[in-house]
Amino acid sequence: MIFRTIALVGSLGIAASMAQAACSFDNETPVSSLTAGFEAWKAVTDAMAECGNVSASLDQEFREKQPEAFAANPALYQIGGVANSTIVPLLNAGTIRPLDDLVAEYGAALKPNQLIRIDGQTMAVAMMVNTQHLMVRQDILDELGLPVPATWNEALDTAEAIREAGLVDYPIGATFKTGWDLGEEFVNLYLGEGAAFVDAENMPSIANEAGIRSLETMTAMTEFMDPEYLVSDSTYVQQQFQQGKIAMANLWSSRAAAMEDPGESQVVGKVTMASAPMGSQRPASSIWWDGIVIAQNIPDEEAAAAFRVAMEGLDEEMVSANNDAAVWLVEGYVPGPLAAGAAATAEAGAAPYPGSAPMGIMHTALGNGIAAYLTGAKDAQTTLADIEAAYLVAAREAGLVD
Amino acid sequence: MATALARQPVSLKLLSSGFLALWCLVAAFPILWIAVMSVKSPVDAFDDRFWNVVTGPATLANGSGVSVLGIALYLAACWGMVRLVARQMPSLIGQIPPRRRWIGWVLGAAVVTLGAALVLFVLLPTLLAVLNPLAGPLGRDVFGFTTEHYRTVWIERGFLRNFQNSMIVTCGVVLVSLTVGTLAGYGLARSGSTLAFWILIIALVFRALPHSVLVAGYLPVFINSAEILRPILGDAAPTLYGKPLAVIAVLVAINQPFTIWMLRSFFQNIPADLDEAARVDGCTHFQAFRRVIMPVMWPGVITTGLFSFLLGYNDFLVTSLLLDAQNQTMVPAIAGMFNRETTTTDQVVAVAAAVSITAPLFILVMVFQRQIVSGLTAGAVKG
Amino acid sequence: MKFTTFSAFVGPSVVMMLLFIAFPLISVFVQSFQVTQPLYEAVEVETCTPGFLTQTCVIETRNQPVLGEDGKIVTETRWVGLQSYANVLELGRAWDAVSAGSWRALMAIDFWKALRFTLSFTLLTLPAVIALGLALAVAINNAGKRLRGPVIFVSLLPFIITPVIGALSINWLFRGDGILTALMERASGQDISMFAQAWTIEVLMMLYRVWHVAPFAAIVFYAGLQTVSSDSLESALIDGASRWQRMKYIVIPHLMPLILFVGMIHLMDSYRVFEEVVGFSSQGHVISLQWLTYDFLQPDQAGNRSISRASASAMLTMVGIVILLIPPLKRSWRDHRKAH
Repeated sequence: MIFRTIALVGSLGIAASMAQAACSFDNETPVSSLTAGFEAWKAVTDAMAECGNVSASLDQEFREKQPEAFAANPALYQIGGVANSTIVPLLNAGTIRPLDDLVAEYGAALKPNQLIRIDGQTMAVAMMVNTQHLMVRQDILDELGLPVPATWNEALDTAEAIREAGLVDYPIGATFKTGWDLGEEFVNLYLGEGAAFVDAENMPSIANEAGIRSLETMTAMTEFMDPEYLVSDSTYVQQQFQQGKIAMANLWSSRAAAMEDPGESQVVGKVTMASAPMGSQRPASSIWWDGIVIAQNIPDEEAAAAFRVAMEGLDEEMVSANNDAAVWLVEGYVPGPLAAGAAATAEAGAAPYPGSAPMGIMHTALGNGIAAYLTGAKDAQTTLADIEAAYLVAAREAGLVD
Repeated sequence: MATALARQPVSLKLLSSGFLALWCLVAAFPILWIAVMSVKSPVDAFDDRFWNVVTGPATLANGSGVSVLGIALYLAACWGMVRLVARQMPSLIGQIPPRRRWIGWVLGAAVVTLGAALVLFVLLPTLLAVLNPLAGPLGRDVFGFTTEHYRTVWIERGFLRNFQNSMIVTCGVVLVSLTVGTLAGYGLARSGSTLAFWILIIALVFRALPHSVLVAGYLPVFINSAEILRPILGDAAPTLYGKPLAVIAVLVAINQPFTIWMLRSFFQNIPADLDEAARVDGCTHFQAFRRVIMPVMWPGVITTGLFSFLLGYNDFLVTSLLLDAQNQTMVPAIAGMFNRETTTTDQVVAVAAAVSITAPLFILVMVFQRQIVSGLTAGAVKG
Repeated sequence: MKFTTFSAFVGPSVVMMLLFIAFPLISVFVQSFQVTQPLYEAVEVETCTPGFLTQTCVIETRNQPVLGEDGKIVTETRWVGLQSYANVLELGRAWDAVSAGSWRALMAIDFWKALRFTLSFTLLTLPAVIALGLALAVAINNAGKRLRGPVIFVSLLPFIITPVIGALSINWLFRGDGILTALMERASGQDISMFAQAWTIEVLMMLYRVWHVAPFAAIVFYAGLQTVSSDSLESALIDGASRWQRMKYIVIPHLMPLILFVGMIHLMDSYRVFEEVVGFSSQGHVISLQWLTYDFLQPDQAGNRSISRASASAMLTMVGIVILLIPPLKRSWRDHRKAH
């Protein structure tokens, strides 16, 4: 064992020294980053670290720390990792800088699709998209002679057939954990109906037909789900899927690779990645992007060094080494079968997640309020009315509504 | 007469020991269980059949297992080492003059840890590799067993750094908390003023406060401390966010109410005549404290220190918010492993980390168990 | 002791508590009567975000905070009196529910729901912890001398284990088809889901808390048992007192101060129950007062947080604690007056 350990440490050392050479320049300015902690960020920050003098914080509390840390003068971090919604507080506070000059100078390898433009200015560089799409056990569908369901109604019928055949414990799996996850599931269904969450005056507008339909779909789904759905987060659903307990789930595309991991999955080669089921207007899903921003409150030289380091993290080399870790937007990404679901969802016209300050409040109100409907404590109308009331109180406190 | 008191009917004895046995099972089971999970492959660890988790067929199929002989050897080695340490260490350290004794403890702990690692991870595996083929059926692997997750945690994930950070924060909390707390506890115990009474009452109310309320207020102040303090300290003004020292200060403050209440009741049990006598001999309060009280206060201080240790070591709310990744302690690091988009493998790795974080607590209780009881007996009885 | 000496001894401790507990507390108190908002302006913004292959651009009206000359968001702070308290308590709705006699409607309001759970959690675990602690202490004291050490060691494990990890390990044992749930299913022949309904989660949370805290109670009581004078026990024996009578009239009164001590600590700790809610992700079914505060404080993804309501709910939690603490505080005050 000791020899193996030594060999392992040795090989790590070699890998590190080889990696050192992988950066195209020698970074001498200390650069630090604050991002979320999931697999893709790990790949990117590891690639950035190859340039030297880089320290990465992959922090689960980044949501809370980022606005404060970027508002400090000088900012505590040069590079930040953001998504559709988490960029909002930074944009609002003006603590991130426009990147057009830096992109012109160092960003030759970037694709236009990667540049997040707000009023014509590039404010962030996206690296990947993530979306929830249908993962379904092809072997079970084949056995029952059913097609991949295209809408939630079809999916529910399929679930009924699977239940009757008694092939798995729970035909449907979904990330219904109370809080952000549950809110996101409603957001997906509601976006599929093509309706808006708030109007131009920031007044809530979810207590309508589309809202009720979305809620009803959710209860219909719970019929076929693990009764502990209110505590099921994506990791748990993924695990149940891997153990063969679930036949289909509208799950994050970043989870697709886990289904094919022979080390932990018992359903390798049996899962089809398909588009998210259609709502009446669009797929019942939302498209998210993740990317980097550079702080405003730092000297220009530091910003330039940080941007160059970030570009090294988002280069082809990183993507080819981690091709299946995410649906990358970066040059050199080869979409495999795992990305088929995300691609189909995007092609079918799924909407981007509408990140904004009112939407943040709405998402929280939804995430906290829907559980009462699913447990049967309230009916659909009351639930939606109560969520609107909760939204209004919070929005008034935030100054978004008079 | 004492024997008459000790005499008990058999039924009562059975009931009492049965109850204790049941409790020990309930108390230890969850911890033993995660220890078992941590040495299995992901498929086995999260299996819903009891025996599959214990025997680990998938782990065994991957070629990592342990034989009956191996288990026997490991158990014997552990037992032998514990006996050796328990017998030899106190007497060895007893030979060192009392003032330097702490060096002995530190050195002793280091030697024991190194020795145990050497025996468990080097000596025994080599020995088993030789013996297993010779032992026939006893030498065949029967239980799935892999140390792979521990290797991932400690070598690839650099958990050692988190461990060091935890130690810095915890030791800092214990030291500062006890220094500040003993002084205050002594002062409060010897002063009967109404002010002292109100300090204690307010401290009690502070102890009851929900922490999340306080902690959320620290973040903006700590991040902007350089800007806030610049007018006073000039360019030397530090950013407190991410500094272990700042976290130590916060944890000490949060822990003060409990510490001063605890220590005060210990000091109240030390007869005031002792320091009065010293005062009559011309000592100041501080001299009396140092010469008379300090030599007899250790049982109480050790017990209180242990509670401070637990608080610092186990804290999540403060450390996760006020430290960044470079000096993160173990608890937020593990919580991070669980909460980020994890694969099942990551989860088992996190389980291994969770077992690792419990090990020092084990040792701590093993060493100080007697002192906890005697410390509580000495002081807290007055309530 | 002179005042200067006293303050030299107590000073450092008091300063730390003032700095890190009292000041934040005062600011929380003030904020509970204030609302701080950014000034928003409506602007037309074109946003381009990546799709899978091509970008989607939308033009929409957004509310953006106005930035001041120093580059920071211009905020406005108003005194709103008891508005935030009203928002948390929702007295109007609560009153309607009460006058309609509808428990369910009352429980639909977050604060009352949290209060209900926090109180029942506190009041149900308190006797359980004391009783289990006492039983353990007596049983350990009864056990043979050589057994005591190992038994105390094992007993202390639930107390020392990191709470986050303790909660998680219980979680694995019961979640889904966790092995203990599977065991119960086999024993009862039914499909059991411990996390599917509120009451089972509540029971699990309480069991976890009792498991976690009872060792502390046990060890304190055990220490107390060592100081019971054997003289009085012997004379009781001569008087023909039964085992139970000796327990009731000698041991328990001797331990009374300790029972009060443990009870008070437990009261304070369980009133701010929080880790269990997070550890068991029970927020869909039951929430606690501290969790409510925490949830108000937690920023959403767009960075909004409800500081005013969080402050109000924190102050309300504190009022509750002070009410719970009044009896023991009165007792301490009487002792203090008697002693001096």
